[in-house]
Amino acid sequence: MTTTDTRPGLVGALRSSGSWIARYAFLAAFAALFVFFSVQATSFLSGSNLLNALQGSMILLLIALALTLVISSGGIDLSAGTALDFGAWFAIAAMATYGLPWPLAVLCALAGGALVGSVNAFLIVTLGVTPFLATLGTFFIGRSLQQIGTGGGANINYRDAPEGFRALTSGSTLFIPNEVLLVGIVLVVFYLYLQRSKHGVRIEAMGLQDSAARTAGLRTRRYRAGIYIAAGVTCAVAGILLSSGLRIYTPMAGFSYLLDGIAAVFIGASMHPRARPNVLGTLAGVLFLSMLNNGLDLLGLDFNAKAALRGLVLLVALTLAFLIAKQARRTTAVRAAAIG
Amino acid sequence: MTVDEAPPGTPVLEMAGISKTFPGVKALDDAGLTVRPGEVHGLVGENGAGKSTIIKVLAGIYAPDSGTMRVDGEELAHVTPAAVRSRGIRFVHQELQLVPTFSVTESVFMGAELVGPLGVRRREMRTRAERILEEVLGTAIDGRRLIRDLGPAERKLVQIARALVQEGPRLVVFDEPTAPLAAAEGERVLSAIRRLRDQGIASLYVSHYLGEITEICDRATVFRNGTDVSVVDPIVESSGRELIRRMIGRDVDQLFPERKNRADRRDEGDGENGQDRDARGDGIALSARGLGDGATFADVSIDVARGEIVGLTGLLGSGTAEVVDTVVGLRRHRTGSIRIAGRDSGIASPADALEAGLVLIPRDRRHDGLVLEQSVETNLNLSTLGRASRLGLLSSKLLASRSDGLIQKLDIRPADRTATTRLLSGGNQQKVVLGRALAADAGILVLDDPTVGVDIGAKQEIYRLVAGLADEGAAVLIASNDPLEVLGLCDRIVVMVRGRVVLDVPASDLTQEELISHMTGSAAGDPTADARTAAPASAPASADTAIADRADGSAS
Repeated sequence: MTTTDTRPGLVGALRSSGSWIARYAFLAAFAALFVFFSVQATSFLSGSNLLNALQGSMILLLIALALTLVISSGGIDLSAGTALDFGAWFAIAAMATYGLPWPLAVLCALAGGALVGSVNAFLIVTLGVTPFLATLGTFFIGRSLQQIGTGGGANINYRDAPEGFRALTSGSTLFIPNEVLLVGIVLVVFYLYLQRSKHGVRIEAMGLQDSAARTAGLRTRRYRAGIYIAAGVTCAVAGILLSSGLRIYTPMAGFSYLLDGIAAVFIGASMHPRARPNVLGTLAGVLFLSMLNNGLDLLGLDFNAKAALRGLVLLVALTLAFLIAKQARRTTAVRAAAIG
Repeated sequence: MTVDEAPPGTPVLEMAGISKTFPGVKALDDAGLTVRPGEVHGLVGENGAGKSTIIKVLAGIYAPDSGTMRVDGEELAHVTPAAVRSRGIRFVHQELQLVPTFSVTESVFMGAELVGPLGVRRREMRTRAERILEEVLGTAIDGRRLIRDLGPAERKLVQIARALVQEGPRLVVFDEPTAPLAAAEGERVLSAIRRLRDQGIASLYVSHYLGEITEICDRATVFRNGTDVSVVDPIVESSGRELIRRMIGRDVDQLFPERKNRADRRDEGDGENGQDRDARGDGIALSARGLGDGATFADVSIDVARGEIVGLTGLLGSGTAEVVDTVVGLRRHRTGSIRIAGRDSGIASPADALEAGLVLIPRDRRHDGLVLEQSVETNLNLSTLGRASRLGLLSSKLLASRSDGLIQKLDIRPADRTATTRLLSGGNQQKVVLGRALAADAGILVLDDPTVGVDIGAKQEIYRLVAGLADEGAAVLIASNDPLEVLGLCDRIVVMVRGRVVLDVPASDLTQEELISHMTGSAAGDPTADARTAAPASAPASADTAIADRADGSAS
């Protein structure tokens, strides 16, 4: 047993160095891109552009937060966009079709998200379907329901939405846009729950090794059901913001956020010491993707080329980060071997 | 076991002067290892003594800082996995590196598929896989069966067959081959190794079970502090004690702790059966009555009083594991009741059990016991995160102080709460699981095979801890198929055979031989004997000896 007698300080430094490098590698890419866009597109650095970009990233941030929660628990939610759609749909339909006051419409929207989440929870927790298949099924059903409900996918317009509903995205409180304030609150709640409370640790344990978490006396089924419902509700909030800004419900609009949301979670995980999904990393991932979108837009690139370029930048940045982290992880592996 | 079949001459493997330093750790220091042709050579030592490292040097996974390695007298300049393999050295790793949905044939030939002009030659592969299993290893397994449908011993044999499938095996390295197996099952693996020896293939046998070392090995090398301290030659049946002394550098006079109130308990419990105890009901913390799940066990009644350690024992498949799972809520029971402190427990999950003051230390710690990728601190606090929180948020100070206290109390090494749990040795991982249970302040502890794959030093500490908890008033239920462990540690012993309780007596009423004969269902004059005369096919006649030998090693 004498060989296990190592110095924690030194070892700790060695172990975390890899992730620090990975973290910096990605932040360096972030900064480099920021400088590049500032030089190449003159309007990039203007206050109004940055604020617009920030405001434009709020919906993606909500989706990404919901996915952070789900992915932490070892699952995936392919129906995040569907929950967003249901939120937007229920909000607009409640007001335009049923003439409900907007606060009730907001509740309807949240219920719509909870409905999508509950279906996932039922399939995954009660029936034991794997999250990928369960949420894929929910996605297909949700898509079909939207088409049926809108007579084949027609938009629902509601141009004269009540002022209060529109103010969710257009107004501001204490010079902070309402949208940013609202999502900021959600962000703080997610941060406290996932990163600072016992629940976050438990959810991570479930995600890493479900049987061990269960044996340790954690109520994993209850957590898992709650996670999918909470994710649905969070996505519905994004749907409310989307419909408040556009005052139109477009069926299946939410799908476009799904892949960006997943990407943001994994960008965030790559910056974490133990490569785990985490709220602040997800925020960084969302900001990175939004900046990339915004900068490429300002450069005036062809729409089709933009998507490819975006993918390329993302791949290069992540590959670099992973390669450097892998190099550093070897040091850790050596230590592991020394103990074994 | 001193049959000298090895012809004199050049050793099949000769490693000398091997040193290997990792940052901060000298893992091997001028270590050597010599294996003669056709012998079964044991490699023993405590966790961290350098066994795994020298095996990895041998496998070409680590490049040593210095030293030489000769195979059949010829020096290997570059030790790479491919070079080692081509010289006929093969490895059977501890983990079952098999794909559950592959067939036996596919598993045996994985990475070495036979390919003809028309693609993979399935029929030939199957014939050869079955032939190796039958002729070399002495077991018939249909090559089309899936790995997931095989028992643990059969899986291990498939793994061995995989090591033999390529031409010219000279030396097979076994790393803890019987660790996941019960005694009777382990015997199948041991007899396969004997067959290898009969065919002139040498084995290097790494094991914590000294009983197996003394049973099967011709010679053994003892590692301590990163070097080979001695070679025991020849190994005889009574070598166990000597091996232990050389492994830890001193005598282990007492593996099992003295139980303070054991003598009193003996008087108290003497002559009573479960029914009387229940009627009296004093101090019974956990009580199962007529428990059955309709399949693997039936009519199981067990009582555990406060301050008492009850051992639940039987052969693999006797139902002890299932009973334990049922008690903690991992399985449902169809009949009977479980009462905690006299009340119906209503436990339907480990979370319910935790709330009722009952914790499980599971048998498969790497899978069920620990979240390996999380830190020692997180694992120690996982069941009690609420108590490390302030105003709903986790307090890093509370987490740290709680875990540092446990690390100190249990002597967990390295004493670093931020270490990833996966990096700890088996014994220390088990201490982390125990620590988590301690943190929960549970009144009832259920341990399922707590010392599997744990070295003697750590075993002794685990026994000391468990006994200490019982002395402080905890009720302890231990499921174990190691007869000496239950005899040495427990106050009462409950024996199960084929899903039924056949014996429930104070430990002091039993000798090792009696206990083993009850476990194997060979006890005479037992009222339930008729139920067991049709002895289970999985418990061959040799089971007695196997268990005895195995138990020998873990105690002495």
